[in-house]
Amino acid sequence: MTAELDPMERPHGPAEAAARRALADARELQGVFLRTLYWTFRGRRESGEVMRQCFEVGYRSAFFLSVTMGFIGMILVFQSGLQLLRVVPDLTLLGATFLELLVRDLGPTIAAMMLATRVGAGIAAEIGSMVVTEQVDALRMCGVDPVDHLVVPRFIASMVMTTALVVFSGLVSFAAGGATAWFVFDVQPLTYVNFSLLDRGDLITGVLKCLAYGAAVPIVSGWCGLTTRGGSEGVGSATTSAVVNSSLAVIMLDLVISGVGFVVFA
Amino acid sequence: MIELSHVWKRFAAPVLRDVSLRVPEGCLYGLIGPGAAGKSVLLKCLAGLLRPERGSVRVFGGAIEGLDEVSLQAVRNRVGMLFQNNALFDHLTVAENIAFPLRRRGMTDEAEIAARVADRLRAVSLPGFEGRLPGGLSGGQKKRVGVARATVTRAEVVLYDEPAAGLDPVTSQKIFDLLRREQQEAGATVIMVSSDIDRLLTVTDRVGMMLDGALIFDGTTAEAQGSLHPVVKQFVHGEVEGPL
Amino acid sequence: MNPEETGLPAQTGRAVLSLASDLGGVAVLAGRLARRLVPPRLDGPELWRNLHRMGVRSLPIVGVTALFTGGIMVIQAGVLIRRFGAEGLLGWGAGFATLREVGPILIALMFSGRVGANNTAELATMTVTEQIDALETLAIDPLSYLILPRVIAMVVMLFVLTVYGDVLALLGAAFMGDALLGVSTATFANGFLETIRVWDMATGLIKSSLFGFVIALSSSHFGLAVTGGAPGVGRAVNASVVASATGIFVCDYVATYLLK
Repeated sequence: MTAELDPMERPHGPAEAAARRALADARELQGVFLRTLYWTFRGRRESGEVMRQCFEVGYRSAFFLSVTMGFIGMILVFQSGLQLLRVVPDLTLLGATFLELLVRDLGPTIAAMMLATRVGAGIAAEIGSMVVTEQVDALRMCGVDPVDHLVVPRFIASMVMTTALVVFSGLVSFAAGGATAWFVFDVQPLTYVNFSLLDRGDLITGVLKCLAYGAAVPIVSGWCGLTTRGGSEGVGSATTSAVVNSSLAVIMLDLVISGVGFVVFA
Repeated sequence: MIELSHVWKRFAAPVLRDVSLRVPEGCLYGLIGPGAAGKSVLLKCLAGLLRPERGSVRVFGGAIEGLDEVSLQAVRNRVGMLFQNNALFDHLTVAENIAFPLRRRGMTDEAEIAARVADRLRAVSLPGFEGRLPGGLSGGQKKRVGVARATVTRAEVVLYDEPAAGLDPVTSQKIFDLLRREQQEAGATVIMVSSDIDRLLTVTDRVGMMLDGALIFDGTTAEAQGSLHPVVKQFVHGEVEGPL
Repeated sequence: MNPEETGLPAQTGRAVLSLASDLGGVAVLAGRLARRLVPPRLDGPELWRNLHRMGVRSLPIVGVTALFTGGIMVIQAGVLIRRFGAEGLLGWGAGFATLREVGPILIALMFSGRVGANNTAELATMTVTEQIDALETLAIDPLSYLILPRVIAMVVMLFVLTVYGDVLALLGAAFMGDALLGVSTATFANGFLETIRVWDMATGLIKSSLFGFVIALSSSHFGLAVTGGAPGVGRAVNASVVASATGIFVCDYVATYLLK
């Protein structure tokens, strides 16, 4: 060992260390976010890349989302039907209430949690393994910002496909709930399909949520992938933190957007 | 041409400790040392891929340690680099990999690109490999494609991280001779990290040795071979007995 | 089957086959683990280490998720509460939804992302670096030494974390009800205590134990079945979290019917 002391070696407590790390993470995440926005408008796109990512996001998640959202629809209609029967014997508004809740919150949020799992993990795994094999460094040597080349196509694709998938899987969920209402509680489909409670506020909140989640998942997961360290272990932990952090981002955005939506529209 | 002064870099532990080094223009500089001595980190600091916490890194006369990614680009356009793991893009063919730096530097003449790629592939004795994907190549073949990509832009500074790792002795010697020839023809400044010391020392002008993040020796090849520094002597001559 | 075939029938066939092989793999793994329970062959210290690790790792994320979820529930219920002018029902609605459905599901999803994904990544790394083979050559049974302690720790920990998360979610809901809807904490607590039965909490906890098994088995299965180096590890983690999420919803559906 050499004798010189490292000037960066300063003792600090665990709380200070955690705070420093959180601050550094926040700054990095903000950097990825701003560069994504910059390159979205300024970058030169290879035309096929966004389409390929749309396919990756959409095609590979459609089945998974339909299954989970379908089950959610059946579970929720079943639970709330049972509860409603305890209070009022009338289930005519079951479908309308469920539809309102689905559009305003459940559809975008649950679907985005699933996409955070499916797409977020995929993005972090792909970018993370490019980091550990030095492909990201090679990109930088060739004059390519990895955010432009790797995150931006996924960002655009995710915004588009999240919205499309939420609509699709929401329909699946509503239909599955309708089937449950029909078979279990004998609510006729014509009574169940009822748009009377749906208003402008619900639609705006729902669409805003789709866009916000669609933007957050690739940015958070891309950040997790780009900050990968080490070998295959590093890829594993980047993938894990992508799932957790993008799910958390979805829940936080949900609280914020729901809160603002409630104050503005209700 | 390339100058580091008092550079410090740490991850969890310090990896570069107060490294100062000057590589003159047109020099083929060999960097040796045991594993985890900080050689790859040093190369990445020179390319601006890693930022040192302290000290200054000067390439082409300007300090690069404070530059942002956009300004770094002007520097990187004049630097070629071969990575330890080759870092070939999995989704591109061999030809596309080699052409990638050219295209990113704005070259659009397809005939010229194809000619440059074919020329590079001949130089690394892989003619006809244009359409192959990196996944289907052996370790040595990937290494040679990496060399082709690092030299295709005829950069003024080229950084090689382990250009001969995993190659058989004959191919390895061929690669070193090729790199030396290229360097002399282009008059480039080259820094080469390699554990294959015997062959590395046949081509270098100057040699530096790193140990635990510090540069413990810097001199001409002949000085390295005749060094009386116990660690350098043991390492250069591959002796079992010694301080290491 | 020709792996180059890309037509729709071939792809569907491949998907069905891989689904069947994963389901079978999970079932076989469950069977082999069950055989090691009678008589119990289990590494005690390893179990404690895992419980501690998983608990510490998940506490913050589950806490934040639960608090936020409680708040979101109140905002969503707020529209209905205002529409019917039924402030007294907020404690009932939030309590019922949290304890029965939302609490167990969301906490399980977060747990799957944090602990399950991490479990897959660890086991997958050990598999691709041949550490599992090394254990076997040392005559150590990887299932009793590595897998069984993790499975038990995950089931126990998810149960404990659900109790903790339920409490925090209710606190978050009570706070949000007060701040946003002007429903006092006392009204909230009254509404909650009058209507919620122990059975409501029990069904949620039964579900969360079930989810614990789903996460533990699928994350271990995908970790052990990994092929193909560092990219393989990423793919295994991806497959494991997707399988866990699907499993959670399917089990929840079945459990909801059985535990009315």
